[in-house]
Amino acid sequence: MIKIKEKSIQWREGMTVADLLKDLDDPQHYAVVKINDKYISRPDFKKTMIPDNSEIFLIPMIAGG
Amino acid sequence: MAEYENLRELKTISYKRPTIKKGYANQFLCIDISDLDISFKQVTEEIKSTFVGGKGFDLWLLWNAVKKTTKWNDPENAICIASGPMGGTPTFPGSGKSIVATISPTTESVMDSNVGGYFGPYLKFSGFDALEIKGKSSKDVLIFIDGIDQKIQIFEAVELSEESYDLSAILTEQFGKGKPRNISVVSTGPGAKHTLIGCLNFTWYDSKRKRVRYKQAGRGGIGSVFADKGIKAIVARWDDVTLSSNNPADVDLIKDVGKKYSREIVELDPKQNEMSRIGTTHLVTIMNDYDLLPTKNFQYGRHPEAANVGAEVYRRIFDKGYDGCWMGCTVACAHGVKDFVPLTGPYKGKKVFVDGPEYETIAGCGSNIGIFDPFTVVEINFYCDAYGLDTISVGTSIAFVMECFERGLINESNTEGMDLSFGNRMNALELLHQMAGGEGFGTIVGQGIRKMKTIFARDYGADADILRDIGMESKGLEFSEYMTKESLAQQGGYGLALKGPQHDEAWLIFLDMVHNFMPTFEQKAEALHWFPMLRTWFGLCGLCKLPWNDIVPEDNKDTPEPAKVMKHVQWYTDYFSAVTGKQKAPDDLIHMSETVYNFQRIFNLKMGFGRREHDTIPYRAVGPVTVVEYESRQDRYDKQLAEKHKIDIAGKGTDEKLKLLRKFREEQYEKLKDAVYKRRGWTNDGIPTINTVKRLNIDFPEVLEVLKENGIQ
Ligand code: SF4
Repeated sequence: MIKIKEKSIQWREGMTVADLLKDLDDPQHYAVVKINDKYISRPDFKKTMIPDNSEIFLIPMIAGG
Repeated sequence: MAEYENLRELKTISYKRPTIKKGYANQFLCIDISDLDISFKQVTEEIKSTFVGGKGFDLWLLWNAVKKTTKWNDPENAICIASGPMGGTPTFPGSGKSIVATISPTTESVMDSNVGGYFGPYLKFSGFDALEIKGKSSKDVLIFIDGIDQKIQIFEAVELSEESYDLSAILTEQFGKGKPRNISVVSTGPGAKHTLIGCLNFTWYDSKRKRVRYKQAGRGGIGSVFADKGIKAIVARWDDVTLSSNNPADVDLIKDVGKKYSREIVELDPKQNEMSRIGTTHLVTIMNDYDLLPTKNFQYGRHPEAANVGAEVYRRIFDKGYDGCWMGCTVACAHGVKDFVPLTGPYKGKKVFVDGPEYETIAGCGSNIGIFDPFTVVEINFYCDAYGLDTISVGTSIAFVMECFERGLINESNTEGMDLSFGNRMNALELLHQMAGGEGFGTIVGQGIRKMKTIFARDYGADADILRDIGMESKGLEFSEYMTKESLAQQGGYGLALKGPQHDEAWLIFLDMVHNFMPTFEQKAEALHWFPMLRTWFGLCGLCKLPWNDIVPEDNKDTPEPAKVMKHVQWYTDYFSAVTGKQKAPDDLIHMSETVYNFQRIFNLKMGFGRREHDTIPYRAVGPVTVVEYESRQDRYDKQLAEKHKIDIAGKGTDEKLKLLRKFREEQYEKLKDAVYKRRGWTNDGIPTINTVKRLNIDFPEVLEVLKENGIQ
């Protein structure tokens, strides 16, 4: 199981950040997600595997700086 | 002899503190240190409705203080410091900023910088919406604004510590009378005296850690003006601050909005950027992932060792605990490092507390100079603060010097034997100590990039064209730390900013480059209108911009324009109405800023700047300068030439492609200027039109006179 926005989602072997975002079908353009304490940027979404039991935060990085 | 050690009283006046009404003291404090003159000026309703407060008040005072011929080190140049109508509201996130303005030694025009700490609110509660200091003193002077005992004092400071770090702690103890939290000190250090890139340190007292903490008004050499005037420190003393201190029109509404805002931050910050734990350091690896982290003088945007100076490292190094630079700010992002032991300089081997580093310092004094050791960054951060030097200008200037050194544009005979290759951390630190002492090659680096370009070409025979391309300054101000090559909108965000390339006006890289939300020139121009205006507004009101969009509501993504975070803009509008009693709508905030923004542009014009030619940026900010830079991202650039510009690149060498790309990109930047000037209601030369100044009610005779002198009638 992985936790995202207070909900639990079934984890599967080899699941990447890109897979997760596709499953969520969320139209927002996320540039960054956080897996537990670690920040992952979009260029790495496809190659970053999500470990089981992770907590995921979708970061609306839109106009920082 | 005065009651304070090391201080000889020169002048004391008593005054009657006015009652604060709806966020305003309705009075300015004006001090001329040449003749120790202390006076008060009334703030009229007209001044308030036109300039609002904060930076607006500073600009109005400064405009009246200086002539078009005034230089930064003339006595009539003023340093103005103001809070704003909402400044000093405890527990409302980010409500403690001070805004400082002066004529800058590096841009020779108007400079403004905003800073945390308690000074601005304490100044206002002592009875003054803004402080203007003019004149020059041959002795070191200290100004004490005592809002509790209702007196203003000027002292001669004798044998007080040179370094800001010690000085502020000593003065807090001396003037605090057992209550250090009642004191905020503005000071600088020896670096400000010996360079043109000096900063001001503003303090707040950290009651939990029982120590003085610092925030910096860094940009544009305001600290150097302060030192040149002979001011050692300004101390403000005020008592407890409550929600009623501002005597707001509707305290219940403030309580309500403030509580909602604070709660949202406490709930969402841990899920988003964790600013309360790691400050802005999360940006390091994110910028690196997107090829946006300035590396080796903005040549590249990525480095394999970036994570060594990223959030995961500073998470462990930062001292845990509450770090709000304003009372009760739940973003609490002003972190520091406890018991740090410098390896060099006057504090070598001693334990110190370092305020920072923030992202800008890590990128400027780390990756951009090829340093990926987190502790060296902390040491540079510490000495910049103690010496009163701006970490951004120091970092960007050293980056320029290092590239010049590696390219052979300067050599060891110029640097007095120092190897200034990228990554040479001991020599980077040595250069910093030299800047502070006014010694060796440090005296040249401390002049900032614009002057270095002239010196390197004139005295060392360096190629002026390449210096112009790689010297990362515009308007005389060093760039802050974001790569802009792939974001035309952010090139405008830097190049079209009033004071020079600082990202406080606009930060559009993600919207533009990553999300491609603004493909047309008109859309970019609209963003380069709305965002600078909203961001300017925070500086008018005494507010910090960070809570607005560094933590965003969970339903923000479902709003029509998520980038504007309109739920928060509405809260700010309510907040303004609740303090001042003037009912406003979100669009009114933009209008308030437009007035001050255009006034500042015309102020630039008054000082001989503020035209299209002054919005020029170095080509390094626009695209690859060298063959090596081009080839490092060849696929990207080749693709752009072929697909966007329809060039048949087959058989073309890098040199030729580099020139073609440069031509296209430079043209695009000029087209962007056209679109932005049009959107802002300016002429094609970047000057506000008569219609614009009339619409904004700033068509005062002296404004029209400046426009007339520049051919606008
Ligand atoms: S958000 Fe950070 S910088 Fe802004 S007031 Fe709060 S603690 Fe200070």
